[in-house]
Amino acid sequence: MAKRTSSVIDKLDKEVISRIQGDLPLVPRPYAAMAEKIGITEGEFIKRIKDLRRRGALRRFGATLRHQEAGFSSNAMVAWVVPDDRVEGIGKILARFKEVTHCYQRRPQKDWRYNVYSMIHGSNHEQCYEIAERMSRFTGIDEYVLLFSKREFKKTSMEYF
Amino acid sequence: MHDTDKNILNEIQSDFPITPRPFQELGRRLNLSENEVIEAIRRLRDEGIIRRIGGNFHSNKLNFISTLCTAKVPEEKIDDFVEVVNSYPGVTHNYLRNNDYNIWFTFIAKDMGYIERALKEISEVTGVPEIRNLPAVRTFKIKVDFEV
Repeated sequence: MAKRTSSVIDKLDKEVISRIQGDLPLVPRPYAAMAEKIGITEGEFIKRIKDLRRRGALRRFGATLRHQEAGFSSNAMVAWVVPDDRVEGIGKILARFKEVTHCYQRRPQKDWRYNVYSMIHGSNHEQCYEIAERMSRFTGIDEYVLLFSKREFKKTSMEYF
Repeated sequence: MHDTDKNILNEIQSDFPITPRPFQELGRRLNLSENEVIEAIRRLRDEGIIRRIGGNFHSNKLNFISTLCTAKVPEEKIDDFVEVVNSYPGVTHNYLRNNDYNIWFTFIAKDMGYIERALKEISEVTGVPEIRNLPAVRTFKIKVDFEV
């Protein structure tokens, strides 16, 4: 068999993904249980998961927590207006803050000029404001807004296949 | 939260074993029996602390694209707007936030054209003109495990 290139997600990959995009069965041999559903062996199933991870398609395999219940009661998306020529440097600085879990450059819009976004987690709103202020002092970017989630309308994992 | 629970949560977020008996392996690391690990995880899931255990993917590596969208929705239209937006399976997260642009949702699909069409459709159905698509042009960080 020819070595599969990193960009090709074949039919069997899709079937494996369709199993592990959900919730792992809490039985002693969960991979065997999932493998059986798609008619392959436990060994093949495990090999496919590791292969998807090696190829970078599988970013992380493990538990996703509900932050509130786990003691992180406040999260804020901090949106920044960063001059174009400073985006790269500022993005890298923001990413180094341990309180930052996600950091992206995004395409701004005519009535929404924010172009860099960092998600921060703290134990309360005040702490989030303090973190953002510290980030602002550190970067010299003072045009920013904290967007707190006031209500969760939907949070699911994507069903790709 | 008990130390045992904390240890389990710290262990299973990014280093969940991909081996035939993963709970036995976790038990070995944490000095618990396989069954104790399974029961503790079941309880943490039932209590809502664990949302799920499984894979998280780079959608672009699966030939999908993802984006963040926001909309300026008047108070009285929020419920209807959210219902319409959430009916799209590619909308995976949706939050009310404290801004004039108050509704924020993530959208994953096969291509950006599909998302642009969906946003137009949502706008027509709900009568909300201000929906903005804010695709990421660069990722500086994604980290999703938390020390508990």
